[in-house]
Amino acid sequence: MGEEIRAEMVANVWKVVAQAGDEVSGGDTLVILESMKMEIPVIAESDGVVSKIAVNEGDVVQEGDLIAVIE
Amino acid sequence: MTTTSAAADSSAADLRDPLARLQALFDAGTVRTLAAADGSGVRSARGEIDGTAAIAFATDARSMGGALGAEGCTHIVDAIDAAVRERLPVVGLWHSGGARLAEGVVALDGVGQVFAAIVRASGRVPQISVVLGPAAGGAAYGPALTDIVIMSSAGRIFVTGPEVVRSETGQQVDMERLGGPEPHGRRSGVVHVTAADDASALAEARRVTKLLGAQGRLSPADAADARDLSASMPPESTRAYDVRPVVADLLDTPGVELHARWAPNVVTVLGRFARRTVGVVANNPMRLGGCLDASGAEKAARFVRMCDSLGVPLIVLVDAPGYLPGLDQEWDGVVRRGAKLLHAFAEAVVPRVTLVTRKAYGGAYIAMNSRALGATAVFAWPGAEVAVMGASAAVNILHRRRLAGAPPEQREALRRQLVEEQARVAGGVQRALEIGVVDDMIEPTESRKRLAEALANAPAARGAHGNIPL
Repeated sequence: MGEEIRAEMVANVWKVVAQAGDEVSGGDTLVILESMKMEIPVIAESDGVVSKIAVNEGDVVQEGDLIAVIE
Repeated sequence: MTTTSAAADSSAADLRDPLARLQALFDAGTVRTLAAADGSGVRSARGEIDGTAAIAFATDARSMGGALGAEGCTHIVDAIDAAVRERLPVVGLWHSGGARLAEGVVALDGVGQVFAAIVRASGRVPQISVVLGPAAGGAAYGPALTDIVIMSSAGRIFVTGPEVVRSETGQQVDMERLGGPEPHGRRSGVVHVTAADDASALAEARRVTKLLGAQGRLSPADAADARDLSASMPPESTRAYDVRPVVADLLDTPGVELHARWAPNVVTVLGRFARRTVGVVANNPMRLGGCLDASGAEKAARFVRMCDSLGVPLIVLVDAPGYLPGLDQEWDGVVRRGAKLLHAFAEAVVPRVTLVTRKAYGGAYIAMNSRALGATAVFAWPGAEVAVMGASAAVNILHRRRLAGAPPEQREALRRQLVEEQARVAGGVQRALEIGVVDDMIEPTESRKRLAEALANAPAARGAHGNIPL
């Protein structure tokens, strides 16, 4: 079962940094959101492999929307 | 009262032995029990923690799961009352299933008296709880009423256990998911500090007890080291960053972060600053862009009230774009829970200084220990912005008609020009300096020194109130 990373707030997806298949460590940036005039990185909370990036650049995410899954 | 040196009977190999746990908490050879061993299921003792006197009690999980009866509750009440008389910190080591069933209402009355003793002591002496095993029912609310709750990996806190949950609601859940470190450290806000095992939980309790029980004297000369507090911050004001390294740089040595994973958009840390214990409240732009929200405001409010009641001065680092907008927030009580932060700062009498590092907008500007709420001093770094909102958002509202009326091909150029004008007129800190809501503009390298001087120049004071677990 993977770790699901969800949006904490309504935001625009500004950049997708990680791709499915990437190995990441806790603290690595997966996606950068834009909200409240701020660039807000979405970070991996633990080490693992990105099994899914659920957003594309330009998408609008709502609070609770899935952003990525890390196995 | 006995004065058995506890080391003599530490041969018991059972790690749940309450006396062994008290010995592990206190400095070696300092433990003096307050009452002889009996069948009450509670041991209490005085001793030293890193050289500082303290009182502690522990429930005995070897018998009836640590359940509390009238006699054991009396020991706890006596320990807390002694701590208040002698103005000592009191630490509770909890591993208990709650009230003893066999004693019925007598046990319930005893547990209620424990609650009342904790509330009597609230705001008068530091109260720290360490949850080392299941703490259920009455044993759950004991820790919850204290100032700081530390949980080891084996700790569990819940009102009703998995079996009752299953039979009453049909929900299948184990003790860990119901009330372990993950739910309480991250979701409920019940636990302030989670620790990997019992030894590190006790080590955290020792650090916190020392910080609150021996606060030290402020020595501004020890903060005159020209450390650059902006070293770990990005140059662009739109870029998020983790504020915790900034807080670590601000303090003499890294402190103890409370509620690290709950409401992480606000960071609350106890630590030493210019050799004195202080509380730091900081917005964390890495989470929610640094916005205040209902949980973050509540977390900060409780921390501010705890520090005020225990006489701990406050340093507030501000970098907040405002309150988090949204239906969820409004329905979650951002107005009611945000009001707690306004109340907490406005009533606080401890010295409390504010440093605006990048931006302080709107309601968040007011709430984060502004001059209007009685800040001892408010400083800002040279590039900081103090405004009702960011310039581009302001332009979209103030000049909506003018922008809409402009030919589409000229609209963006006009918007840029208006934003520049707005930033010049309403942004920056100049206006805030002129009207005296920011006292001075200071450099990142002199911030430690200036904050220490401002705290040292304010009269020491302590709020006369308890620390209700907001």
